[in-house]
Amino acid sequence: MNTQRVDVKLVLLGREYSGKTSLVERFVFDRFSCTPYQSTIGNAFVAKRMEAKGKNLTLGIWDTAGSERYEAMTRIYYRGAQAAVVCFDLTENTSFQRAKFWVNELLNCEEHCRVYLCATKADLVGDKMARKVDLHDMHDYAEEMKAQLFETSSKTGQNVHELFQKIADDCAEKLVFTDQTPRGVNITKDAKREMARCCVK
Amino acid sequence: MAAKPVRKGIHVDHSELLCKKGCGYYGNPAWHGYCSKCWREEYSKARHRQIKEDRELAERLQKEEEAAYASSSSSSTTTTSRPIAFSKFEEKKTQEKARKVNTVKKFFTTSKTPSKRSMLLCCPNNFTMVRQHSVESSQAAGEFQEFLKLLRKPAAQDILKRCRACIEGIAVFILLPMFSFQPFNNFAFAGSLPEQVEKTMDNVEKYIMTRLYKHVFCPESTEDEKKDLAIQKRIRALHWVTPQMLGVPINESSPQVIDMVEKAITDIIEMDSKRVPQDKLACITRCSKHIFNALRVSQNEPASADDFLPTLIHVVIRANPPRLQSNLQYITRFCHPNRLMTGEAGYYFTNLCCAVAFIEKLDAQSLSLTEEEFDRYMSGNASPRRPTQEPSSLVDELSACPVLAPLHTNLLDLQELEKQQCQLESNAADLDRALVAWDGSVAQEVANVARKLPPKVQASISSFPLLLAEVAASPSGPLDSEVEDSITLPPPLLPQPAGS
Repeated sequence: MNTQRVDVKLVLLGREYSGKTSLVERFVFDRFSCTPYQSTIGNAFVAKRMEAKGKNLTLGIWDTAGSERYEAMTRIYYRGAQAAVVCFDLTENTSFQRAKFWVNELLNCEEHCRVYLCATKADLVGDKMARKVDLHDMHDYAEEMKAQLFETSSKTGQNVHELFQKIADDCAEKLVFTDQTPRGVNITKDAKREMARCCVK
Repeated sequence: MAAKPVRKGIHVDHSELLCKKGCGYYGNPAWHGYCSKCWREEYSKARHRQIKEDRELAERLQKEEEAAYASSSSSSTTTTSRPIAFSKFEEKKTQEKARKVNTVKKFFTTSKTPSKRSMLLCCPNNFTMVRQHSVESSQAAGEFQEFLKLLRKPAAQDILKRCRACIEGIAVFILLPMFSFQPFNNFAFAGSLPEQVEKTMDNVEKYIMTRLYKHVFCPESTEDEKKDLAIQKRIRALHWVTPQMLGVPINESSPQVIDMVEKAITDIIEMDSKRVPQDKLACITRCSKHIFNALRVSQNEPASADDFLPTLIHVVIRANPPRLQSNLQYITRFCHPNRLMTGEAGYYFTNLCCAVAFIEKLDAQSLSLTEEEFDRYMSGNASPRRPTQEPSSLVDELSACPVLAPLHTNLLDLQELEKQQCQLESNAADLDRALVAWDGSVAQEVANVARKLPPKVQASISSFPLLLAEVAASPSGPLDSEVEDSITLPPPLLPQPAGS
């Protein structure tokens, strides 16, 4: 199994039918699921190469099952994630309430994880009647949680690339930081015998 | 010993063949030129000298050793040899003893402060070196050597050296409670390509983990084994869970889909047979790929996580993989964390962990059943596949799974058979009762008839059984003629209507 190197773990959270899968699909394959397609076998996990801040990095995008029966297990998914996109449906207020729950969980359990709020299905709220999530509430909440907010539409592609580009940029900064700490040992030289206590660690 | 005589050419002087001691007998090169008798004398002298020296040495060492012990902690005296009067021993034993003392001495001279831990380090190290390696171990070692040939010389040797040190070290530390082992994590190989580093790490992992597998898989210091059994029992109890309950969107009537699900099941069972964490992960990945294929064929569109997880749960329940918990723990402990946290294999592994967690916590609510139904299914009193529901849903179910159809007809046949069996039994009982009643009525009838006849006939009737016995005992002649010949018999009775 040829495993591709992945730099960033990005988790998608959100209720069922909140548009997580469509978001990935629009981003990775630039298409919307109304049209039939053949090439991929699944997009629960996708690795996407991106360029950010002059660096190449690969985003590993983890889709999660949004059904409530798996809620207790969600924590297993976002363990060690560098970034999380919490999706909610603009036409459904309950999905926004669920999103709040996940944001809280993330802030409590994964302090190094950056949280991005993603309001999906923006194309459906052209008329004000369809919008069920108050614009001001949404922005206030994002500000309160210090989370970035994006209003996207997977159908039209609005804001989708902007969202992922932002994530890649933020993560690239972080990667530069960790990459430059020189802890390497040149194995071609006669390395010191410090491995003698390798297992005491 | 005396120097050997110098030989010249093929010719051997006669004097050279004689015993060196000049006793007149012929000597032998095997006995250093002595004859057998002289050689024995010489040899026993040398031996006595040697024994004497050994004894002295042993005694000296003994004293040193005792001194060392006295200076160090007095608690660790379990392995000390006690002072023994050597003169009582035979020569051979003395020699052996001296050797032993020597070895023990060596342990202490290498480390200046002898402690329990250094003992611990020394002994099992020696043990691992003489230990016989398993087939997998030697194979892994061979492969690893092959791989290292591709690397630059000094680097390769260094890696091999480190690995060996690591294996021996860990084999010892297994005796201690659980440890965390990531010896190569803090290494970056300066000047190498990332791919090269990755490859090296993979091979190092393969080598080390194959060699250490026996020690670190499901170690006794953890409760893995207990958990294995628990989850296995749990899955066995959940055999009745249908794909419909889990919301698995696969089409079980298509042979192609069934085939893929079977492959997925095989892969996840195979995981237990692999030794290296990455091989185990590869099994999980293959299993997941088969599931995705099955989903794509069923739905005609790429699957999302919402479809994948329930299907994986379904596969795990059907497969009931051996030592599941141990395998998951092993991978978590020893797989490269980067691979586990970010890569594709890591994603599938996380899903598997999730599936196991779900199975452990599974209750009525998560299958959208009532508590009552759930309890009934769990206790085995009912099965969702048994025709207790209305026929329409049953037919649906049967069409959903062709494997169930023959099972169902067989079940119906068995029920029919059971019904017939019951019928047969009750009929037999009826017949039995009727026979008993008839028996009684016949006896009654006979008694009634007998009462109406004259006393003489009565007597002969009462002796009738006796007579029959006589007839049976008579060795020859047909029954009828015998009876006719008998004079004591009354004339045959004429048939009469029973009512009279």
